[in-house]
Formats: sequence, structure tokens, C-alpha cells
Amino acid sequence: MTYARRAWIVLWKDVVTERRSKETLNALLFFSLLLLFVFQFTLGGDRERLVLALPGLLWLGFVLSGLVGLGRTFLAERENDCWDGLLLAPGDKSAIYLGKVVGNLALMLVVEAVLLTLFALFFNVDIGRAVPALSLVLLLGTVGFAAVGTLFAAMTAHVRARELLFPVLLLPVEVPVLLASVKATEAALAGEPLSAVAHWLKLLAAADVVYLVAGLLTFDALLEG
Amino acid sequence: MTADHWGFVVAAYGLAAVVLGAYWRRLRRRDRELTTLIESKTARATQPKRQR
Amino acid sequence: MSRALGWLAALALGAGLVMGFGVAPREVIQGNVQRIMYLHVPTVLVAYLAFAVVFLASIAYLWRRDLAADRLAHASAEVGVLFTGLTIAAGAIWGKPTWGTWWTWDARLTSVAILFVMYLGYLLLRGMIEDRDRAARYSAVLGIIAALDVPLVHFSVYWWRTLHQPPSLLKPGPATMPQSIVAALVVNIAAFALLYAYFVAKRVTLLRREEEARA
Repeated sequence: MTYARRAWIVLWKDVVTERRSKETLNALLFFSLLLLFVFQFTLGGDRERLVLALPGLLWLGFVLSGLVGLGRTFLAERENDCWDGLLLAPGDKSAIYLGKVVGNLALMLVVEAVLLTLFALFFNVDIGRAVPALSLVLLLGTVGFAAVGTLFAAMTAHVRARELLFPVLLLPVEVPVLLASVKATEAALAGEPLSAVAHWLKLLAAADVVYLVAGLLTFDALLEG
Repeated sequence: MTADHWGFVVAAYGLAAVVLGAYWRRLRRRDRELTTLIESKTARATQPKRQR
Repeated sequence: MSRALGWLAALALGAGLVMGFGVAPREVIQGNVQRIMYLHVPTVLVAYLAFAVVFLASIAYLWRRDLAADRLAHASAEVGVLFTGLTIAAGAIWGKPTWGTWWTWDARLTSVAILFVMYLGYLLLRGMIEDRDRAARYSAVLGIIAALDVPLVHFSVYWWRTLHQPPSLLKPGPATMPQSIVAALVVNIAAFALLYAYFVAKRVTLLRREEEARA
């Protein structure tokens, strides 16, 4: 069985499971909607201020829902006693990592798209022209989160107080991605050409590559029982 | 001439001395504890078996 | 061996104090409060050294599965976090009289703060895994990711903010600082590096004996 096929199988299993239960996606979408309300209640009143803070608020929303979603990456395997199944999988186990990352990426991107739309609706912001640029920024940023998040999810799967440790470990590491994503989103929403934030985009791309390669190389070590 | 703020200088160096000193003392204390622990372990292990 | 290192470190620290307070002149612009730099700069440089060692030891562990490498990573991370904390504290104490504030989100301070939290997380992870082998493996992965992240943190935070003094020691071209100040810095850097080495050596020994005692 080829590497790509094994990764695909992991991805497909997660997609099918999710499609049947819709547990994670529904919960995350609902969570995002609630975040919107919380932002409005805590920062609202002055619409100008909210709109100015929009890039930051968007990514705050993405990160918070991402933490919830990413933290559950190996929940199914853990709860259903399938962890050993992962350990016994033949061949290069990084294929599992790849499948999981792509799955998480897809999940996060769906939630982000919905959250973005909701933000635009509720705060009455016209983001139409910015969508292509925003798509690129969201993709680059989310890969950065998914790559490390999936790795750390495996790391904290068997640790006690994992709900606490997972964000504590992930957030500091993700600061570069967060900073770059917010800055690039700012530019995209302001209608600036992406070339103005080329250095941020290059940083995101570099981070994505570093994290993915590191994840692929070290995932095996996390699964050794 | 700008003020010297010697108080701050003393505070910084004092803090460093206290923290580093405390860490050093902790290392030494653990070292002594372990020595006693390991010694008592080896003493028990090499105790001659009681004859009937 | 670590005893000799300890005495050497103590001697060097003494020399460092002499250099920092006796030999180095009163700085023209900041006054004597600048002397905190002879503490602040060495601790941050040694902290980076410590985390570089964590990186290399982590790779060595994953490659060789030698517990000695794991102990080195653990010890170095611990001492590194200690020195990073001191860096931030000394920096804040220096910042109050000079910048008028204990804290500011400038590039260098923010980077160091992120570094502090990352490696504190490393120690937290270690503390929460009971299985010896798993703790070693997981920490090694985290140690590698954290180290790879350091340049990314630097660039991102630097582009995001700048207020800190421009790095004078590593600038190409003629040094902008008088010789005696540079000399005092160098001696103190060496002294703190020796202190780091002494602490790590002792800590590694302690870790090994802890395992022995538990066996």
C-alpha cells in the first residue's frame, strides 16, 4: 500500500465518521457563532472599533475554535481503544500524520469560512473583493495551525490534563503564524495588494514548510506506544 | 547628568543572586538527599542474610 | 569534575562583577543603571545557548535513544528557563528607570517572553508524563519544534514591533561601544556560560541518580 493511499485512508475514515455523526463540525460551528456574540457583548457598542479590530477578532475566533477542534484529533482513537491500531499500522506512520493534518485543515477551513461569513453579516462589513486574498491568507495560516496542532494533539493524547496542556503548548509556538496571519488579513480587508505584505506571506509559507516537515519526521516517535 | 538609579541596579543583581543561589542550594540539597537514599538502598541490598 | 567547573564559574562571576562595576566606565547616556546590562545580556545569550543544547540533545535522543541525551535536554531546558526568567526580570528592572515602564511589547522583550513560555511548557510536559521513555520521546519532539520556532518568532515579532536598542555587539563594522564595556560584557558572558555549564552538569548528575534511586 502506498504512502499516499495510507494517508488517504486515514483522511477518508475521519471524513466518513464526521459525516455520519456531524458531531465536531456542528459543535464547532455553534461555538463560532457564540464567539461572535461574545465579541459583540465584550467589545461591542462602537462599531468602528469592532471593524478596526476585525482581523484580530477573526483570528481569535479561528484560534479558539481551532483549539477545540484540533484538540480532538485523536479523540476517536483514544476513546475507542484504537490507539494500538495506530501503533500497529504498517509502514511509515507519518502517513497517519498527513491524513490527520489534511482532515484538520479541511475542518478548520470550513469553520473559518462560516465564521468569516457570519462576521461579515453581523458586523455589516463588505468583504466581497477581499475574498481571493483572504482565501490565500486563511489557507497559509490554517496549515500552520493544523500542522503543529495535529502533532501536539498526538503528544497530549495520553497526558493527564490534556485539555490544559494542549493550548499551553500550542499557543506560544503559533505566535509567528498568528502575527503574520493577522497582519496579512488586515491588508487583505483594507483592500491592499498582497504584495504589500509579501514578507508576512513568505514567513507563513516558511513556517508551514518547517512545521510540516518537522511533523512528518517526528510523528513516528510519538506513536511508539 | 542623568540620575544613576543605583537602587534598580542593586535590585537586579540582588534578584539574580537570590534566584541563582536558591537554585544552587536546591541542587545541593537534592544531591545530599539522593546520597542518603542510594546509600541506604545499597546498605539494605548488601545486608547479610540472617542465619537461622 | 563539576566541582572544578563550579569554582571556575564562581571565579569568573567575581571577575565579571569587578569588570562590570570597577573597570567599565559610567555610561554617558544612561548613567550607572546601564550596568544592569552586564547581567541582562549574558543571561539572554546563555539562555539561547541552553535552548540550542536542548535542540541538539533532543535530536540526539531521537536518533540514538540514549537516555544521557535526554537528561542533558531536560537539565539544559531547566537552567535555560531559569536564565530566561532572570533575563526578563533584569530587563524589566532596567526598563523602569530608562524607558519609564516595567514592560513594553517591543520586539526583543516579546520574543524572550514567548521563549520563556515555550520552554516552561516543555518542563510542564515532562512533569506530566509518568512513563520515562514516553517523556523522553515527547519532550524531544517538543524541544525540536520549539527550537525551530525561535527564528520564526524572532522575525515575526521584530517586524511587528521595534523599540529595543539596535543590537550593538553583533553589528558588522566598527563597534559602537568603548572597549572597556565590550570587555566587561565578554567576561560576564563567559562567566554566566560557565555557571550554566556547572548547573547543567550538576543537574544531569542528579537526574541520573534519581533514576538510580528509583530503580
